Amino acid sequence: MGFFFVLKRSCSRVRPFPPINPNGKSSLLALFSTSLSGSRARNLISSHPFSVGSFGAPRGPNGFSGSGKSLDFASLPKVRLFSSQTAALSEPTTSDGLTVDAIAAKGWPILDESESDWRSHAAAIAQSIRLIKKRLQWRKMIVRLEQLSAALNKSDLWDDPVYAGRISREHGELMGKIKAVNRFEQELLEHIDLLKLAREEGDKELELESMKALLDMRRDAKEKELEALLSGDRDSCSCFIEVQAGAGGTESMDWASMVMNMYKMWAQSHGFAVTVLEEMPGEIAGIKRATIKVEGEYAFGYAKAEVGVHRLVRISPFDSAKRRHTSFAAVAVIPILSDVSTQYQIKESDLRIERFRAGGAGGQHVNTTESAVRIVHIPTGISATCQNERSQHSNKASAMAVLQSRLDQLEMARQAQLNAEHTQSLTEISWGNQIRTYVLHPYRMVKDLRTNYEVSDPDSVLDGDLDGFILNFLSTLLDKDEGNTS
Amino acid sequence: MILRLPFAIRSALPSPSLPLHRRPIRSPPASALSSLPPRPRQEIPLFLRPLAHSAARSDLDAFRRWAKSLALTAAPGIAAAADGGPDADHLIRELSWLVQDATSEPEVGDEVRLRVGLEELYRLWRERIEKRRPFQYLVGCEHWRDLVLVVREGVLIPRPETELLVDMVAEVEGFQEGLWADMGTGSGAIAVGIGRLLGVRGKVFATDLSPDAVEVARFNVERYGLKDKVEIREGPWFEPLQDVKGKLAGLVSNPPYIPSSHISGLQAEVGWHEPRLALDGGKDGTDYLLHLCEGSASALKPGGFFAFETNGDKQSEFIADFISTMWGNFFENVETVLDFAGIKRFVTGVRR
Repeated sequence: MGFFFVLKRSCSRVRPFPPINPNGKSSLLALFSTSLSGSRARNLISSHPFSVGSFGAPRGPNGFSGSGKSLDFASLPKVRLFSSQTAALSEPTTSDGLTVDAIAAKGWPILDESESDWRSHAAAIAQSIRLIKKRLQWRKMIVRLEQLSAALNKSDLWDDPVYAGRISREHGELMGKIKAVNRFEQELLEHIDLLKLAREEGDKELELESMKALLDMRRDAKEKELEALLSGDRDSCSCFIEVQAGAGGTESMDWASMVMNMYKMWAQSHGFAVTVLEEMPGEIAGIKRATIKVEGEYAFGYAKAEVGVHRLVRISPFDSAKRRHTSFAAVAVIPILSDVSTQYQIKESDLRIERFRAGGAGGQHVNTTESAVRIVHIPTGISATCQNERSQHSNKASAMAVLQSRLDQLEMARQAQLNAEHTQSLTEISWGNQIRTYVLHPYRMVKDLRTNYEVSDPDSVLDGDLDGFILNFLSTLLDKDEGNTS
Repeated sequence: MILRLPFAIRSALPSPSLPLHRRPIRSPPASALSSLPPRPRQEIPLFLRPLAHSAARSDLDAFRRWAKSLALTAAPGIAAAADGGPDADHLIRELSWLVQDATSEPEVGDEVRLRVGLEELYRLWRERIEKRRPFQYLVGCEHWRDLVLVVREGVLIPRPETELLVDMVAEVEGFQEGLWADMGTGSGAIAVGIGRLLGVRGKVFATDLSPDAVEVARFNVERYGLKDKVEIREGPWFEPLQDVKGKLAGLVSNPPYIPSSHISGLQAEVGWHEPRLALDGGKDGTDYLLHLCEGSASALKPGGFFAFETNGDKQSEFIADFISTMWGNFFENVETVLDFAGIKRFVTGVRR
């Protein structure tokens, strides 16, 4: 009697494995083991159709529901315990040797959630886990983990502390992600074990509880599928979005400003803070180029789906002959790395700082609210300009932040080449590809050329309703390769 | 903490003895003035006023449209005057900042809370365009470095170039614990900039001849909580600094340096509205600079640093040459320093 009492409590209220959360920075780790902290993050979540970290049940600070005390599972005869040391790489099974993959392979029919069929729940959860692993690029993760472990075991590792720090941090984050998924798998298998046990013992109450736990997991798993779309190293970062008008004069400058406006509205609707850093207006209308800063959790993870060339077809309001025009605007998205230690180190002596668009005598002669600054990184020729702040000092600081991110991106691209296998997915997103067409005439449609996702209401898209496009692209990007999960 | 505001509240009776502007050097066109009623003396800066007014969002949008079209209409005329005045882009950006200062954070809904009545915004913008009143006087502040400094008529609006003086001070070894002086402090910009960087034993003396400047500088110093770090003293140049003679770790100044003959041709925002006292440097523009250099020899302690802003290039070279030739015994490492526009804007050196 006491035995079952203990078992029931533990099963419904306590997760038997301790959480690991080394730094809270790793996005997926955060998704799997902790809820996002802060009311701001929560607001963000609730407004997202594909929300991040929105677990069904409210959680405590460590991501646990409830506050039941931990129980000693080792004393339970039929429940297998995995130590956290070996959990990461060993394949968990039920007491009768069933693995998650085996469950997925059984092809048990997946019924509606309302059907109380444990096989259906288990199959749905197993499918989700497969998809999550695919999206996380599981096999690449394992290979990378082995590489990192090998690197960490080298005796001369700490001769280069910066490198060593980076390696061990990446190892920790990767390990965290893998363990989080493995914990989820173990949880599934344990609930199956408990359910079978309850049936053997004829304990209806326990059976119901286990069934409910499986259903909860099934719902959880659906959310984790979405969360896994944003598991990239930099996905949780804030970002810069740059829009540049293509050739074609006023019509394409007008298009560029429409695109920029679309992102401002998209960002605002998601609760991101938007700051205009630079804006070069066109002579008659629109913009030649503009840069905005979009601040908030996962801004980069979403916005990265927008990189590329956007094409507009319409009757130009700037053409007195009312002809149909095609214009282009290019979009770039750059993450703002929050971790200073991973940033490209800029030498002060490599910089040339210029007053931008300044003329005349300056000083006391001139009263101007223009204090634009351009910073040029001499070795690479990369530059950044900011003109929209109200002091030169702030313009310089903002331009410096843009420059830092551009150099970070360059460095990332360089490292991606060195380590092509690991970062392949990032290089697939490249500047210069036409990604989407917006047709306002002779018919009305917006179509993504990468996913074939389309909508027939361009106005809503231009008003910032981009989530369908983003979500479709992210899932297509991550689901198309890695047909074989481990 | 309650700050004493040195400004008359708007509702207070305007003192008729105080003129709107210091003596204008060149009168704005009569047509621009005729439609405008006389304005009371400077009020509390816009961004510090309470959100005591409100307007329908559509009315604020209508103001924006009107103000934008006024700017676009006026821009060609300003460009034709060729005095270096603002172009349409600048004016439109100023308009967005004016609205920014007059409202609170982005608000949703049809009603917008304002720090001034809508009719006051119309009046202010008309002054900006028609009287070429500097934007900074309109809103009563200037963003400078990471500070928001209160300014008003009678006080020079701090220039972006001058920000670098603070950076130069911050590069001097051990500057945090030294005694500094900012002579002709105006709004107190440089003194506040330095004061914020100082350590427990460091201090800035900020002097100015103008009672207006002293009042504004005092307000800015108090607003940044620097009363213990920055001491304002009224008086010309070195006169208020007799008690610290020979003890100063450094001297900085942005003195009047424009040659008298250039004053009449200045940009309208400067020539019509800013105090001549803060601009006119005498025949060659070097009257006060030379006075500062000479006085530095006795004011600075050995190893003390000075940095002065000048009219640029030739004037900087002249001053640097003059110091090296005439007072070579007193100073070393005398050099000119570029601003971000590539102009030799500053002269710096070290007391032997």
